[in-house]
Amino acid sequence: MSSILDTDTILAVDVGSVSTRASLFDVVDGHFRLIASGRAPSTVKAPLSDISEGVRMALDQVKAVTGRKLLDETDLLIMPVTSGGSGVDTFVATASAGPKVRTVLVGLMPGVSTDSALRLAESTYLDLVGVIDLLDTRRESEKIDLILSARPDLILVVGGTDGGAQDSVLQLIELVAVASELFSPNQRPRIVYAGNRNLGAAIADRVGEHLDIALAPNVRPSLQVEDLGHARLALGEAIAEARNKRVHGFDELEQWSGGTMMLTADAYGRVIRYLSRIYDPAKGVLGVDVGATNTMIAAAFEGDLRLSVETDLGLGEPLPTLLRHSSLSNIARWLPSETSERTILDYIYNKSINPATVPAEEEDLLLELALAREILRLSLKRARKRWPKDRDLKSTWLMPSVEPIIASGSVLARAPRPGYAALALLDAIQPTGITTFVLDPHGLSPSLGAASGSVPMLTVHVLESGSFVSLGTVVSPVGNARMGRKVLSLHLELEKSSEDVVGEVRMGQLAVVPIRQGEHAHLTLRPERGIDVGFGGPGKAGALRIAGGAVGLIIDARGRPLVLAKDPARRRELNKKWLIDIGAVV
Amino acid sequence: MTHVIPITVIRRERVLPVPGAVLVRVNERLQAADVVAEAEIDPKHYYLDVARGLGISVKDAGRYITCQKGDRVETGDVLAGPAGVPRRTVRTPASGRIVGINNGRILLESFGKVLQIKAGFPGKVISSDGAQAVTIEAIGTLIQGVWGNGLQNYGVMRLVGDGPSSRLQTDQLDVNLRGAVLVAGICDHPAPFHQATELSVRGVILGGMPSELIPVARRLPYPVLLTEGFGEHPINAAAFNLFVSNVGREVAVDAGCAWPQPGQRPEAIIPQPSSRQVSHPDRVVSLKPGVRVRVLKPPYQGEVAVVKEILKRVETYPSGIRAKSAMIEIDGVGTKTVPLANIEILQ
Repeated sequence: MSSILDTDTILAVDVGSVSTRASLFDVVDGHFRLIASGRAPSTVKAPLSDISEGVRMALDQVKAVTGRKLLDETDLLIMPVTSGGSGVDTFVATASAGPKVRTVLVGLMPGVSTDSALRLAESTYLDLVGVIDLLDTRRESEKIDLILSARPDLILVVGGTDGGAQDSVLQLIELVAVASELFSPNQRPRIVYAGNRNLGAAIADRVGEHLDIALAPNVRPSLQVEDLGHARLALGEAIAEARNKRVHGFDELEQWSGGTMMLTADAYGRVIRYLSRIYDPAKGVLGVDVGATNTMIAAAFEGDLRLSVETDLGLGEPLPTLLRHSSLSNIARWLPSETSERTILDYIYNKSINPATVPAEEEDLLLELALAREILRLSLKRARKRWPKDRDLKSTWLMPSVEPIIASGSVLARAPRPGYAALALLDAIQPTGITTFVLDPHGLSPSLGAASGSVPMLTVHVLESGSFVSLGTVVSPVGNARMGRKVLSLHLELEKSSEDVVGEVRMGQLAVVPIRQGEHAHLTLRPERGIDVGFGGPGKAGALRIAGGAVGLIIDARGRPLVLAKDPARRRELNKKWLIDIGAVV
Repeated sequence: MTHVIPITVIRRERVLPVPGAVLVRVNERLQAADVVAEAEIDPKHYYLDVARGLGISVKDAGRYITCQKGDRVETGDVLAGPAGVPRRTVRTPASGRIVGINNGRILLESFGKVLQIKAGFPGKVISSDGAQAVTIEAIGTLIQGVWGNGLQNYGVMRLVGDGPSSRLQTDQLDVNLRGAVLVAGICDHPAPFHQATELSVRGVILGGMPSELIPVARRLPYPVLLTEGFGEHPINAAAFNLFVSNVGREVAVDAGCAWPQPGQRPEAIIPQPSSRQVSHPDRVVSLKPGVRVRVLKPPYQGEVAVVKEILKRVETYPSGIRAKSAMIEIDGVGTKTVPLANIEILQ
């Protein structure tokens, strides 16, 4: 065991709906490093409905790479490490797999407690199937019918500030209790109450005997204060319980992790929040994860985390839902070649049937990346509504300043060249000013978040290692200029080379200057009048030290917001050109 | 893993969404159309305020309530009162039963719709919880698909066209196919579906159809089952051979798992007589040389093949992606390398 670190070997498992990942970290030269990772199909669905098989297959892959024995003869995790070098010191687990938790939200005031609860519900794996509030004009009996027909796994009740409204909250609770008692005992929903704290005892008295209720701190203790963190923990437990009822194997991971197993989204949010405390406080940190069954957007501003889990947007089973919010032409606009709407539609439905498949043909790859752009664009649009107002730009079109942007998800991580991922992120996120794109190719972020409680140094060490891939520094000038007009001039001095790069970038151009990973350079930017590159206002010049990346320095002067050509042929031509410019296509 | 098995033990659970009544006994032999369980679903509720109705205080309301929890009542029956000089009463707005009395309020549940669950295929009841779930077992041919339009039915199977990629066309559909379950390769137009409706067919099994026909398929009165997916995909060779060898036999089509699939795959079951020992399908099969697989993505989508080797090295594909791969032998095509993620085991 190392002298500085309390633990040496950490095994992390993340159970997703499509893939189960296992990652083994160990100490090398006093620092934690990712030693091996394994990935296997998840076995969460029928006929197995047991995650254990997928977990064991992922662990087998780690064993095959490292030769390290992780499980004993009875298939139990060896912990702590034995004198023979088998097993691990610490085990952490996260999971996003499992059936969606059908939830009815019952609140008092729209715009106050109900809005807080909606934000809470949208930050985790809930399937909101009904909302009831005080201004709801339906009769009580209709509300009871709504709850019954929704067949919820969970009813989230909020309302009243601490010491505030009592009677109205008690009426809501009475309604929920009457409806819940009509379910057969094994189908009764769990109730999570996160309203006026003073009513906890009265509520427990009313529903406690026959119903399963969890009392959580008020999500809206006062009109000015919102506290979602504690209620999220109570929801996490309810989600885990609903999941464990229908899928086997989670209890074993829970046991191995010593009861610290987390929801993937919560662990992911924890890492992004941590990073926001390390990086420039003037900017936020953004994490985006395009998964198979949901898309996570985590933005944190000096520790203030805004987490969104879009459970209806993903590159797998929910893919057809994308068409409710977007259109086939919106997807086709990102493609560099002509593709019929029928082809796109068939692809969407086939991918929803077989979400684990990978695009072997180039047309399929480009189509998946186009779908990822739309998913990410929509998810971000929704998520930004929940970001702090003072951090968002006045224009609803422009992204506030965030750095870095950490991206994950198979579609980005598996892209054959880093330029594919970088262009998809540029198109979907449309960052402004100066930022850095970082790819999490192994999907380590949730595991780091889960381990941060017991092994705080893991996150720091792994982020500093090569396990996260920097795609490069991105400069996105903002301002009005005619197409082809100069927007900025740049001077790049590489630290390990005497050859400087001097040039200018014109409106509409996507320029890339390769700077290898591990190299550093001094970048001076002189924007034209009216053009803002993030140095404090339009026309302001500045200099900064930048690090290299898999793509290099990217200057995206295509405009903010990015307006694509209306003519389809011209648009396709430009999409192709940008793929070449960014090095995705050679 | 997809099951395409000539003969196996098929065991399926039929579960009501809410507790109700199981109508069959263990060891009872069933036909496909037999109702095995039923329950009342989506009943309407009336939350009657007795105090307000009688014009009295909540505290006094209890004294005037004349019904009890569990009582069955008819429309107009008096539930509370009379009270006061005007001799006010509270009457039932609908027939139903009293499911709750609390704080001077009566909760009345009117009768809902009756949901019936059918066996779906001929078999024997092997277990039941008496209220919500029944397990049925049969021996037969099992062919699992990938998508269904949400319905199930049972009928004699007929082949339309001359191969796994033949198109279902209106001129092939005549009165000889009335009441049959049709098997064809592809349907790319709504007209054959509508003509099949005219013929009262009991189901259509296809390899593929364009996804733009999903809304049409969901409105049809008979089950539509796809074995491969969306687009012009013929029925895979293994499944097609089983359909061909069973033409004229009865087939149960369970296309009850419309997207998103809740777990159980849509499937076709062809009951078979068997006196010999028949095994259950494997729940887990390891991917290794000799295992039969089906390709899920272009360029060999829908082809049935045999794994020759699981490659140790990662392969690069035309898209540029690198993936763990297998070498497979496709009948009539030869040996090809495909990503492991793009094949599934066909048992």
